[in-house]
Amino acid sequence: MGLSETEIQYFISTIKNHSEYDFSGYSEKSLKRRIQKVIDDNRMDMASLIKRLQRDRNFLEKTIKDITVNTTELFRDPKVWQDLRFRVLPRFKNNKNINIWHAGCSTGQEVYSLLILLNEMGMFDKAKVLATDINEDALAEARKGLYKYRFNIGYLDNFDKVIKENPFNYEEYNDVPYSKYFRINKSDDSLLINDFLKQKPIFRKHDLVKGEDIYFAKFDLIMCRNVIIYFKYELQTQVFQMLHQHLYNQGYLLFGMHESMLGDIANKFEKKGHFYRKKY
Amino acid sequence: MYKAIVIGGSAGSFRVITRILHALPRHFPAPILLNLHRLKHVRSGFVEALSIKSNIPVIEPYDKDSIKPGTAYLAPSNYHMYIELNKKIALSTEEAVNHSRPAIDLSFETAAQTYSRNLLGIILSGANRDGAWGLKKIKDGGGTTIVQDPKECEVPTMTEAALGMSQVDHVLNTQQIIDFLLKIK
Repeated sequence: MGLSETEIQYFISTIKNHSEYDFSGYSEKSLKRRIQKVIDDNRMDMASLIKRLQRDRNFLEKTIKDITVNTTELFRDPKVWQDLRFRVLPRFKNNKNINIWHAGCSTGQEVYSLLILLNEMGMFDKAKVLATDINEDALAEARKGLYKYRFNIGYLDNFDKVIKENPFNYEEYNDVPYSKYFRINKSDDSLLINDFLKQKPIFRKHDLVKGEDIYFAKFDLIMCRNVIIYFKYELQTQVFQMLHQHLYNQGYLLFGMHESMLGDIANKFEKKGHFYRKKY
Repeated sequence: MYKAIVIGGSAGSFRVITRILHALPRHFPAPILLNLHRLKHVRSGFVEALSIKSNIPVIEPYDKDSIKPGTAYLAPSNYHMYIELNKKIALSTEEAVNHSRPAIDLSFETAAQTYSRNLLGIILSGANRDGAWGLKKIKDGGGTTIVQDPKECEVPTMTEAALGMSQVDHVLNTQQIIDFLLKIK
């Protein structure tokens, strides 16, 4: 029972030899669990999985997608969004543009969360938004902006906390209707993002591991949430460097609530709450 | 002896955990890894509540934090908490397992791979079946397993599931669990 280290290594090298993906810098336990899930879902053992990966290109691509999919939610961690609203984004209010990169956007819920926030702050038009992910299926879902209502119902509370309420002034309450941003259809269990939001971001495939070039040269804000937890320390360092390069001085970098920047590169940032602000 | 203790619980486990943490000495010789189900929206305040009576620090770890003795690590809300072979915490936002995130099974299984026979696993009161499989993995790996006496549990489902899945070493009430832990050197 359970996959051995050797089997995992074999899997990684098979993928590496037959595709442009490299999982060798991925954290062991989550990778292992995801591979196990592929094996269980397909009811095969490691040997037959490897054989099929070598022969069947479509299966290979599907497997890679199964392994790289991440979960995301609308306004996950309201506190962070309140900080964005009241502490971070106001600094860019008088700028001509604000360049934003969602690095590892998965199915896009946070891309739309931020656009909603920007719209409420009157900064929608000046925003340029790039949203990238390694997983094309996730990107396709992000472009559609069509989510299961049932999964998201809990997060409407977060919408209220971030958009309607002001944690610094309890008397303030903006009764923004959900319909301004999405249409909920309970009978077919859907939550559909409104078109004006969907048309805004550029969604593009990008693998953080490979450090490929991206459209915009530099950004004022990079959101890379719950992505680096899947990487080992060495790969994290490489990704931090890349993100650093793509930030303007004084630009902000935001990770997930339980992610932090380790290593020397952290000295190039000032840590403000959950945000990392580039010093130089 | 025991290099780590993993504890899983759900409904009805909060008071038990509080009692355990209250009873442990400040320099307890092993780390305690806690997986407690809680409401998705109860994100803060839990650590504080557990800390009030605890003699050892209770923290919600960050990804890649080192695991140190004499510290209780509470799986953060909405993350799975894995134990890597290098004795560091790894967090994940993969989908829920057994309708739970954190899932006790995942923490227990990965802790078993890391600590094998030097691991003590404890399942407390709870309303679902999460943890039973993980406790079996600990047993299979040569570790020691304890289940809270279902008669004492506010909700016995989780403990009964654990007892049904593997041969458990000890069935103990809260005081006996505390006595067992206090003997660890």
